[in-house]
Parts: sequence; structure tokens; C-alpha cells
Amino acid sequence: MIPSSKKRHYLSGADWIINALDYILKKETCSGNMSQVVLVLDNGPDAFLLQQGLQEFAMEFPVLHGSVSRDFINLAPYWKIPGECRDGIHLNVSDMDNVSSVDDVIPALEENVNRLFQGENEHLAFHLVRMGNGKSFLSMTFDHRLLDGRGAELFLDLFRAYLSGEKKSGIAEGFHFNAPARLSNWSDKFLAGRNVNRKIAALSGSAPAALPLPASGDKGFRFKLVSFGPGDTEVIYDTAYKKAGYLMEMPYLLSCVIRAVHALFRARGLQPGSYLIPVSVDMRQGGDVKQELFFNHVSYLFFQVDAKDADDLTAMIADIKAQMYDQVRAGLPGDIQEACLLMRIAPLPLLKRVFSIPFDGKIASFCFSHVGKSSYISSEFMGTEISNIFHMPRVPVPPGLGFFFNNFKGRLNLVISCLDGLLSGGEAVMLEDMIREQLGECGK
Amino acid sequence: MTVREIEESLIQGIASILSRDASSIAPDIPFHKLGIDSLAFVEILVFIEKTFKLQLIESGLDKKDFGTVHSLASFIHKKH
Repeated sequence: MIPSSKKRHYLSGADWIINALDYILKKETCSGNMSQVVLVLDNGPDAFLLQQGLQEFAMEFPVLHGSVSRDFINLAPYWKIPGECRDGIHLNVSDMDNVSSVDDVIPALEENVNRLFQGENEHLAFHLVRMGNGKSFLSMTFDHRLLDGRGAELFLDLFRAYLSGEKKSGIAEGFHFNAPARLSNWSDKFLAGRNVNRKIAALSGSAPAALPLPASGDKGFRFKLVSFGPGDTEVIYDTAYKKAGYLMEMPYLLSCVIRAVHALFRARGLQPGSYLIPVSVDMRQGGDVKQELFFNHVSYLFFQVDAKDADDLTAMIADIKAQMYDQVRAGLPGDIQEACLLMRIAPLPLLKRVFSIPFDGKIASFCFSHVGKSSYISSEFMGTEISNIFHMPRVPVPPGLGFFFNNFKGRLNLVISCLDGLLSGGEAVMLEDMIREQLGECGK
Repeated sequence: MTVREIEESLIQGIASILSRDASSIAPDIPFHKLGIDSLAFVEILVFIEKTFKLQLIESGLDKKDFGTVHSLASFIHKKH
């Protein structure tokens, strides 16, 4: 069992922001701030053994059934960890004998990630979709308040190691859920807050372009998976290195997406002023993976691109690289982490209102991330080869639109996540086609 | 500074950015094989600016010059 005398883990500033986004998503859509990591397997694992292993594994981690609470003395929010696990983790198995393509499975995966967790103590659910051709999809839907994207992959990898007997005993040893409240060094936090405020003020000169949200408040998210084979991926990365510089694939991919989104705005007859894109960055120190597996270890970079520059790819790449360099040099991601600690005092409904003050309530044009290397270390799960891994995150609303790149086994994936009704079917296809075109018409 | 001294300084900086042991960073291993992504690479460029007073983000970042610790050290040596 996890050594935790107080059964509480104080939340970081990043965790509290994620909690605020969860609150907003529950108010504005059908569910919370959830995501899903999907393993594409060459065969179907034994469902009975999977369910059994999942129950045993989950019993080791009472943190999976925690809930958010607030300390009555120091007012800091914390994750209240139950003393023991009474409930298991849900595994849903479905057979789709008549389907053989990934596109046919996406609706079932969408249903999983759009389903609201039951109660305040459920944060994880597994789904196994078996296709008629023998392939299967194992998806883990997770609450972002408990795990970030990389943490979810690390958790799955730990589960794999447990199932394979690598670490059958003492799997939870060494995990410490006793993060301090971090209520000291106030001057550091206020200085960081000043720097972040200055950045937000600099960015909020004009409201970012954003697509109008659909009227109904209980919609789910729709997803599109664009997958490139290893050969095409190599071509894309080589092109990125030629156009943006060595290892500058993130600015290149972001620039290509901005051009596609810009084309969409123009097709709608909209006159955007500028695009604002928050890009999540991993802030793990890389020391002890066990201390950085659960909860959120992310911060953000912000990129603003004038719409009139969106047609010039070379200039846009140079601009994004310069913005990235300036923000890293200024220590913005670290400042955001530090400054967000100050926001923990604010109740979530108040934070929802605070978020809508700058940028005329539009917050961003779309969300973006690029993960170059998977944290799921193994290439198999329960003895079955994994052919691909991708993520399906629900995106904060607004903007309700996100582009998420990841790379697994030399294969580049792009998942487009979109609030139902934000784009028409034709527009979603147009976005995909535009991005493929920008990336050199690879993979079509 | 000699190329060797620049190399050693770079290895220390990169090890700190990647939270890895300096001994695990060989001068001739391509950066992408060290698991360095765009963000980490920009952190390395910021480290170079602070250490060697050279701003390289606006240079071409050509793989030939920036591909390994050794080639990067030679490039910095030429510019220094």
C-alpha cells in the first residue's frame, strides 16, 4: 500500500488549472476534462485475464479513487486519498465483428471518452474493442485531474509490467503522495505572477480568432485520426528540418496547422485578426518517474500569429521559433507553474470567470501539442504487439478545437479533437486534407 | 576555449536540461537519438547563449552543424 499518513496530496498550480478546466468542461459540454490513450493491438488480449489483472493492479493504488477537497486551515486544495480500494476499475469489452478499419472504431472510442465518470471517485476506465480481423483497441479513459498524457502512458506501461510479472510484487512501493502545500516563498510566486501577467497583457492586445461555439451545452467531442506511415513520417521530419531547422519539428507542424486553420476561417468568410495557440509542455525533471507519474506536470508556451502572416510559411516558422526561444529564455513555463500556485485560493466558479476576462473570453484559437517520444516503453501489451498509440483528449471550451501530434515506432499521428457542431463534416475533411497538403501530401 | 572544453561544457548543460548523467551523453550521438525534442533543443540554445554569448536560433540550425555535441562544439568554436 502507498505510504501516506495523512492520505492527502496537495495539488500544484497546474493541477488546480486542470481542475478549473474540468469544471468549465462539465458546465459547457457533456463531460469533464478527460482524455483517452489508445493502444492499437495486433491481436485481442484475453479479456478475463485483463479484467482480473486490472482489479488486482488497481487495488494497489487507492489514489485512483481519490477526490478533490480543501484544507480548512491553510485553504490549499488537495487530493483526498481513501485508505483502501473498495471499487475496481471498469472494463468494457465490445466486439465489432464487421469492421476492419480504424475509422470504423473511432465512434466507439468517442463514446468512451465522452462518457461522464460516475461520481467524484471514479477517474479511470478501460475499454477493449475487438475487430473481426483479429486486431483490437485497448483504450484507457482517464481524468486529467489524476493523470496528464505522459503520466497515462507511464501508468499503462506500469500496468503492462505488472501483468507480465516483471513487477508483480511491491508495484506501489516508492510512490509518495504527500506533496507539501507549498505555502512559502511568496515573493517568488508574486514575481512569477507579475511576469505571467505581463505576458498575458502583451498577448491580449486583440481577441484571438476562434470559431463560434455551438449553442447546445451538453455536446461531446468528435475525433479524427490522421496517421502517417514510417516512410511518410521520415519525409515530414526531413522537410521540417530543412524548412525550420534541426529538431524544429514542433514549430513546423504548428505552422502547417495554422495555415490549414487559416484556410478554414477564410472558407467561412471570417476575417481573423490573429491566432493564439497555447502549447502544452512537459515539465518533468526526469529524476524519479514514480514521483512524477500521477497528477499534472505540464506548463504552457503561447504563440500568437498575425493572420496576415499565415500565408507565408517561412516567415511564420521563423516567428514561432523566435517566440519559443524568447519564452524559454524568459522562463515563462516555470513562471506559469509558480504563479498558478497563487490561483489555488480561488474557487472553481470564480476561476471560470477569471479565465474569460482577457482575450474577450475567447482564450485561444485552438490547442496544440507535439510529443516526440512515447513514454510507453514496451512495444507489446499482454504478449500482443502494439502497432500504434494515440491520444484522444477532450479540449477546453472555448476553443473546443485541438491538434495533437505524437510519434510511436517512427509513425506520426495527428488527432484532431473538435467539439461536436463546431465544424461541419465537410470542414473536418477539409482541415485534414489541408494539413496533409501542408505536410507534403504524405500518407494519403 | 578549445573544442574539447566547449564539448565538456555542452555535455554538462545538456545533462542538466535532460536530467541525465553527463556520462550517458556521448559527443557523437545525434541529438534526436538522445530523446531531445524541439523544446529541449531550444533550452540548449538558450544555454549556449548564456554560456557562450552566441544567439543561434536565427541561424539555419543545419543538421550538419547542430547534429551532435561534437559538431555543435566545432560550430561554436568557429563562431566564438
